[in-house]
Amino acid sequence: MRVSFASDLWQFARGRPGMLIGLCIILVNFALALVGPLVAPYATEAPSSASLLSPSVHHLFGTDVSGLDIFSRVLAAPRIDLTIALISTTIAFAFGVALGVVSGFFAQAQRGGRLVSSLILRLADIVQAFPVFVFALALVGISGPSVRTVIVALAFLNTPFFLRLTRGAVLQIRSRTFVEAALCSGNSELRAAFIHVMPNAIAPPLVHFSTTIGFSILLTAGLSFVGAGVPPPTPELGLMIQVGAQNMITGQWWTALFPGVALATTVLSFSLFGDNLRVYLDPTNRR
Amino acid sequence: MRRFLIFAAKRSAFVIPQLLAVSLIVFTLIRLLPGDPSFMLAGPYASPDRIAEVHRSLGLNKPIVEQYLQYLRRISVGDFGTSWRTSQPVLTDIEQRLPATLELVVGAVVLSVLIGVPLGVAVANNRGGTVDRLVFTYGMLAGSLPDFWIGLVLILIFFYALGWAPAPVGQLGMAVSPPDHITGAYLLDALLTRDWRSFVSALSQLVLPVATLVLVYMPLVLKTTRSTMEEMLDSNFVLQARASGLSRRTQLRYALRNALPSIVTIVGILFWFLLGGAVLVETIFAWGGLGQYAVESVVNSDYASLQAVVLVIAVFTTFVFLIVDLLYFVLDPRITI
Repeated sequence: MRVSFASDLWQFARGRPGMLIGLCIILVNFALALVGPLVAPYATEAPSSASLLSPSVHHLFGTDVSGLDIFSRVLAAPRIDLTIALISTTIAFAFGVALGVVSGFFAQAQRGGRLVSSLILRLADIVQAFPVFVFALALVGISGPSVRTVIVALAFLNTPFFLRLTRGAVLQIRSRTFVEAALCSGNSELRAAFIHVMPNAIAPPLVHFSTTIGFSILLTAGLSFVGAGVPPPTPELGLMIQVGAQNMITGQWWTALFPGVALATTVLSFSLFGDNLRVYLDPTNRR
Repeated sequence: MRRFLIFAAKRSAFVIPQLLAVSLIVFTLIRLLPGDPSFMLAGPYASPDRIAEVHRSLGLNKPIVEQYLQYLRRISVGDFGTSWRTSQPVLTDIEQRLPATLELVVGAVVLSVLIGVPLGVAVANNRGGTVDRLVFTYGMLAGSLPDFWIGLVLILIFFYALGWAPAPVGQLGMAVSPPDHITGAYLLDALLTRDWRSFVSALSQLVLPVATLVLVYMPLVLKTTRSTMEEMLDSNFVLQARASGLSRRTQLRYALRNALPSIVTIVGILFWFLLGGAVLVETIFAWGGLGQYAVESVVNSDYASLQAVVLVIAVFTTFVFLIVDLLYFVLDPRITI
């Protein structure tokens, strides 16, 4: 009897609180991305009270230096952060896996295949020669800070990671007997690579997908933190931490603490989910 | 040995096209710049003739290939132009700031390895225990923490609330004069010149930023060590070792030996990541390193210095990955180019 993927995954998740918690926070994030700005008690981009009020019943997370309600802005933030992360990660995943399969499958091939394989790897090397954050800074700095630039920069920077992960997995699988069998029974090399090898090599990049969303959210926040991400006064977590940084050092802790906790929780939920997914997809890992 | 030399020669040969590609990308970045730098350099009240003259003197009227070759010639002698913001040659700016960044990054990487590898081995050896769970939870948590925020929280706790740490004012305390210049890294210079006052100050300034980086990025090393060690301990050669009655210690040594390639790779990746990733932590602690310079360049549209920083860090990284690949071959000679 064939158990459906969803119900099998659900059976698995029931025994793992980390996965459920991660999933719940992810769902809350998606919900907030849809309705966050609507359920926020105050305006998210206009001052609602005096500045630097400490947390109270009226302002759960207090207000920042210009009198913006921090709680409302935290609720509204996923709409920006999650969208940027999702789009950029999807692009990076698609390109990274495709290139990784080709590069891994043909690594030991004859003639042209091998050349393409090492060319792809060297290209990844070159992109990765630029450290993520500085390169993102440069890309965004030159094309001007905007949501689109941030997405393009992140997708570009994340592709080599997926590529390397896929390539590594493919390299290990390539020498297995079933691949030889697939080739012997008449599959073309590309077909064998994408139909037979790729599904067996997809787990590492897939697990990385969830983690990369978290990482992209972090990077977006970091870029905004130094003024090279989304422009103010957009309700974005890194921007909020930047506004609060000065006050935090002088004791108004709530200004940067709550956005930071929100940021960490969001990123954590994606890694919790991703890590449990890794265990789920690798049956030898189940305990 | 002969195989290693062949591998090293082949792998090193890749560095040249890599560096060329890096310079090409950075050159393209220059060309992508909005506007014509001649307007900026000639000043707001320059006549059209004057602007055309500056345009010519910059070589912007020449064919693009020639411009690229000219750019290569200039960077090969270290001429990165002049920063609009500091009005110093960019090379001087970078020479002043690079040691500070390296000090921070090397400190964080070394400490991460010293903590992460033994802890990873211990956890892999003792699966399912309390320590395993704690380390696992911390690993999950740490990977999700924004480093700049952790830096702020550490400042809030250890500087503002407890008063244990010095104010985040950079590499040295306010009233401390820098040690004599040898390498440019204050901690090292103070040690070499036995200038204990600045040594203590530099060390205490270094604690919080390094702690921030280690707290957030050490789990990368820890998690890789742990998972690779688990994989190795489950493999047949360890089973064989156990069946032969070798001690657990020897089994662990065998496993660690085979886990080393992955660990070297992740340490290389960590170093690469921190070269650019320490930017935010540098900003928080007013570190005055290359990262902070890059941020200031972006914010002030100081493109000459931005390109130079990107180039310098990329060149550095190319060599880091070269070393990683060579080490990898030494540790696991089965790989080929």
